[in-house]
Amino acid sequence: MASASTSLSKAEKSYIHSSLCSSPPLRADGRSLFDFRTVLLETGVAPLANGSAKLNIGKQPHEGGGGTEVVAATKLEVEDIENGDGVEGGRIICSVICSPSAYPHLSSNALDELQYDLTTILHQTLSDSSLHPPNLGILPNKKSWLLCIDVAVLADAGNVFDAIFMASRAALWDTKVPRTRPIEYQARGLAPSGAADVEMDTESGQQAQKSSFDTRDMIKTAADFELPDYWDEGEVLGGREQWPVCVTLNILPPMHYLDATPSEEASTPLRLLLAFSFPPDSPAVLQAMRLLGPGELTVAQLKAFTADGEKYARELFAALEGKLREEDLRRNVKARDRFAAR
Amino acid sequence: MVEITIRKRPRTEAVITQRKFFKKTAKGKVIKVLRERYLRDDVACGVHSCNLCSTTVDLVLPAAGSLEHLAFPGGHLVLPDTNVFLSQMDLIESDKFCPPMILLQTVLEEVRHRSLPLYNRLKTLINAEEKRIWVFYNEYNTATAVIREDGESPNDRNDRGIRKAVSWYTSHLSLARPPVRGQPTRALPTVVLLTDDVANRQRAEKDGLVCISVRRYVEGMKEASKLLDLLSTAGSDELEPTKAVAARQVLYPDYLPSSTLLAGIKSGQLHQGHFNANQYNYLEGNVPVSGFDKPILLIGRENMNRAVQGDIVAVEVFDEKEWKAPADEVVDQETTLKNDDAEESEEESDDEEVLAERHVLQSKLAKMQASARQPTGRVVGIIKRNWRSYVCHIDSASLTSNNATSLSQQTVFATPVSRLLPRIRLRTRQAPALLGQKILVTIDRWDRTSRYPEGHFVRALGKVESKEAEQESLLLEFDVPYRPFGKAILDCLPSEGDHWIVPPKSPEAPEWRDREDLRDLIICSIDPPGCQDIDDALHARSLPNGNIEAGVHIADVSHFVHPDNPMDNEAAARGTTVYLVDKRIDMLPSLLGTNLCSLRPDVERLAFSVIWELTPAAEIVNVRFAKSVIASKRAFTYEEAQIRKDDPNMNDELTNSIRLLNTLARKLRESRMAAGALNLASPEVKIHLDSSESSDPIDVEQKELRETNSLVEEFMLLANISVARKIQETFPQTAVLRRHLPPPRSNFEKLQDILQKRKEMTLDVSSSGGLAASLDKCMDPDEPAFNTLVRIMATRCMLAAEYFCSGSVARDTFAHYGLASPIYTHFTSPIRRYADVLVHRQLAAAIGYTPLHASLHSKSHVERVLDLVNRRHRMAQMAGRASVEFYVGLALKARGEKGKNQEEAFVIRTFRNGLAVFVSKLGLEGLVTFKREIQFDPDAYTIKVPSPDSVHGTTIAVFDKVTVNIEVEKDKNTQRGRVRMALVHPVESSGL
Repeated sequence: MASASTSLSKAEKSYIHSSLCSSPPLRADGRSLFDFRTVLLETGVAPLANGSAKLNIGKQPHEGGGGTEVVAATKLEVEDIENGDGVEGGRIICSVICSPSAYPHLSSNALDELQYDLTTILHQTLSDSSLHPPNLGILPNKKSWLLCIDVAVLADAGNVFDAIFMASRAALWDTKVPRTRPIEYQARGLAPSGAADVEMDTESGQQAQKSSFDTRDMIKTAADFELPDYWDEGEVLGGREQWPVCVTLNILPPMHYLDATPSEEASTPLRLLLAFSFPPDSPAVLQAMRLLGPGELTVAQLKAFTADGEKYARELFAALEGKLREEDLRRNVKARDRFAAR
Repeated sequence: MVEITIRKRPRTEAVITQRKFFKKTAKGKVIKVLRERYLRDDVACGVHSCNLCSTTVDLVLPAAGSLEHLAFPGGHLVLPDTNVFLSQMDLIESDKFCPPMILLQTVLEEVRHRSLPLYNRLKTLINAEEKRIWVFYNEYNTATAVIREDGESPNDRNDRGIRKAVSWYTSHLSLARPPVRGQPTRALPTVVLLTDDVANRQRAEKDGLVCISVRRYVEGMKEASKLLDLLSTAGSDELEPTKAVAARQVLYPDYLPSSTLLAGIKSGQLHQGHFNANQYNYLEGNVPVSGFDKPILLIGRENMNRAVQGDIVAVEVFDEKEWKAPADEVVDQETTLKNDDAEESEEESDDEEVLAERHVLQSKLAKMQASARQPTGRVVGIIKRNWRSYVCHIDSASLTSNNATSLSQQTVFATPVSRLLPRIRLRTRQAPALLGQKILVTIDRWDRTSRYPEGHFVRALGKVESKEAEQESLLLEFDVPYRPFGKAILDCLPSEGDHWIVPPKSPEAPEWRDREDLRDLIICSIDPPGCQDIDDALHARSLPNGNIEAGVHIADVSHFVHPDNPMDNEAAARGTTVYLVDKRIDMLPSLLGTNLCSLRPDVERLAFSVIWELTPAAEIVNVRFAKSVIASKRAFTYEEAQIRKDDPNMNDELTNSIRLLNTLARKLRESRMAAGALNLASPEVKIHLDSSESSDPIDVEQKELRETNSLVEEFMLLANISVARKIQETFPQTAVLRRHLPPPRSNFEKLQDILQKRKEMTLDVSSSGGLAASLDKCMDPDEPAFNTLVRIMATRCMLAAEYFCSGSVARDTFAHYGLASPIYTHFTSPIRRYADVLVHRQLAAAIGYTPLHASLHSKSHVERVLDLVNRRHRMAQMAGRASVEFYVGLALKARGEKGKNQEEAFVIRTFRNGLAVFVSKLGLEGLVTFKREIQFDPDAYTIKVPSPDSVHGTTIAVFDKVTVNIEVEKDKNTQRGRVRMALVHPVESSGL
């Protein structure tokens, strides 16, 4: 994995390392080990996308910005299943691009590699069948939606994985699927003429006794779809509560800490990525796990870290959920009320 | 410094500033479209002397509103809802309906979204002088803009926006004119929401807004009785809740939703095509579709399912075992449904008329011919209605009260002049006054529960059989644009008017640039008598090398009509000059057509010349095209030219050149015939008019054809072919050409069969040459007219010739079947045909005289123009024929007053209960029907009629010569003059 680390001298690395391991642990910005920096989130930032979000970790308005900045947007496209790339029930494609200005020290090849790695992790996690939204189909065997999730990393001030996953989750939460209505044409001739004709030949006789479970005929006739209400943004993605959040555990055995800054990342080679989803009313599901960097962990350590990770993820999830609902409110009801009250 | 304010809100208020919607593209992609919205507070209300709004535009709404309405004595302004424009446009357009009106942007956009033609009509109204319409951009006004709520339909949102605008206007008017102490308070005009949407009205009333339905509103107007007729029936149901809609019997199956239709057509299960009604049988129609060779047959009302002539419909085809043959019987709507009552026909459906209809249908089903079966189906939906205004008569039998002063509203039947249309039910207060008049009626709707379409009265054209009314109705019926030319068009004419002359020859004069001086040539024109728009002239002379130089000179219309100016656009829209018996509807202003372009004798005129060098055997050695200046020496009629040519005493240069032309023309004709050109015939008659003023027809005679007719024709054909080759060579993608596709063999099947069975003659339809040869053999030595008859019938089996753009069709379909020419165009009549104007422009560019206008390089543009020209051309022919028919009718009537009209006629078709006959002397086709049972043999094309002379009866077959008695009788119900024929010989049919 291409490293996003800034160039840091050995002495600096060692200094940061030892201050993190000291008791009590010391961090440059005074946070405790499990504190996140400020996370800012806004949804609906790209009006032409079907869902979008902008996320910032560690912005310091007094000092003129900074922080990790990520924009995620989703776009739905119609795909043809018969003649195109479409898949029954729709499919999801993720892609992450990194702005060169976020990684000025990387060559373009290294940037490509980084983008590829980030894309792979995001795509493998989100396109998993256990998370697949039920409403990405349009016409059975004919048309389906392709859900593209495009994430752009505009600035990297550490902890880019958590930022990417949070932004994606927010964008997916915000995504609305346009309502479609299948158009079909049912030939009148089939049923009545078959029933009226006494001397049915064997073929049509078989047709008449066709099982009603057999839906092939219906599928054949539904030729196209239409948009019943072109003004309507549509319905949200099914199961949007399930989209996972990711926490990155930066590991300095035996201890670990969260939300590393770039210099901390440079002096902590081992990282554990844990993506949890929290389906309502059921236990958390570990959707993905990645161990990045040199070093190794025993199974017992891994278990302990996973248990810790679930705890952090649950907090992060709850906070994000609250913010997302607040954003929905802000952009719709409140905006309308403000407009009406003017 | 001017303060700059930024009206655009930050993105946090996106819900207000942005309008998002989805669009499905033709390729099936879904795209999201985003519109930014800028709200402002300076959108003017449009009311005169409003001190709150400042604007520099003319304000059209009077400050006190309109004081003319009974319900609003204090003055009012009308604010109509969208549905008013969608269903009551005729009312809004009426010059008697002009209250000050506020047109909301919301309404305007909704109209555009729902119907583009209505939107365009509305746009012209907005600009009209006499209408006081103010467009209020409510969506851009901060105070009236609305945003869509959650779960609100677009329609509800628009209605809310309209109501909001009404309430804003109401408060705005009171704010603009606060009561001034010491002055009497002036009444404020009421803003009235005009809508036929009951739900919207109820909500508005809840909000305390003044609203009214259209009918209620019109009832309170001064000219109510006249305006009420203009009301479309669409909105009237809601006003009469007493009529239980649900209780009415459903007569027709429901249409499928349009999206389903498109899906069905896409998947090939449904077929799309134009609906053609059958003029002999109102219970039958057909739809030609690309999927089948034969058109799809529709039998019975249910299967035709409310389709009207010209509609584009979607048809479902039945299984092949249910296919049927077209009927062989004449079924007349008026006789079958004589007693149908306009008021009540909705309620009863099992009455005797329906039984009669059913009987007619069943008797046909029993006698199905296996041979003539064709695809049969039913209409499942309408893709596009092509309803327009139809010329009708009021059916006097449907009137309940004949009292001329009665102003009570009645429901009556209007019978369209065209036999292809169903009767239209309409409600009017003027019924007694409209009896005996031609009126214009628009169809509004056709419900499942109603046997007839419902419409409303638009205007009266005048007394039946008065020339003006008949003429106008003809033009309307065939959609001929006949308004006088507007000022913008006349401004395109040369400013000298009729004093314009070709300037003296000089190198500077633009007229003389690159023109050949042919003023010394002995040129003459030969035309029908009374021709004013002479667009062609000819010359011929011997050359020293023994060859002959022949020239065709065509009026140089493209010198005066420049591309893409108002005159050109109007000419393109008119497409062709329309010739009626007593009137000519010009394509170009008459200054050009009959004067500046007309190649009159003894004046210098600009021309476009085609000059050949021909061998004495009429083979082309060389051809050249040139812009020229000519001076015709003489304008002959066909007759004069013929006499002069045949007079051996005349030996001057002009006569000799006519003789020279004639010998060449003969040879040209011979070689054309050898190549397989057809000699076709169509019944052409000439109407003798008493004098030009009274235009009463005296008599009818068949047009005589002289040798000189064919002389002119041959040279025009030659010119057209030469020009076609030249422009096709130069502009292979966009050349304007004309073709005549070979008719499909199946078209001739019936005629071949009849000829074989009746006369034992065969028709070779493999090629045009074969057809020409076999037509020559179809001779009956006893009956010279028989050959002409067969030719007429063969002509009817063929397809129509059409203009096309050379880049749009395959090269091997360019040929002209009838002329047996591989390529053809129209070049020789630019004064009266627009295609010729285009050809002139292309030829001028081909010889490097002028560059070609950009539009003529565009294939799609040329295609579009030619499509219209083709349609206009067809319509013009039909209008001309109908005009002749009308005058033949008048002439027959005049003759009938002196005595009986007996003419010889040929039987051209046999029906189960009658004969179709053709009177060649009058060019008239008619029906003889029998009330009594007769024996009909469809395979032998004969009927057997009982006769007093023999026990077995008399057999009459197709091609038999009979004598018929022709009368013109006025149809009792419709006042429509119709020709009635009865057999005199071999059997007297009046008793049958």
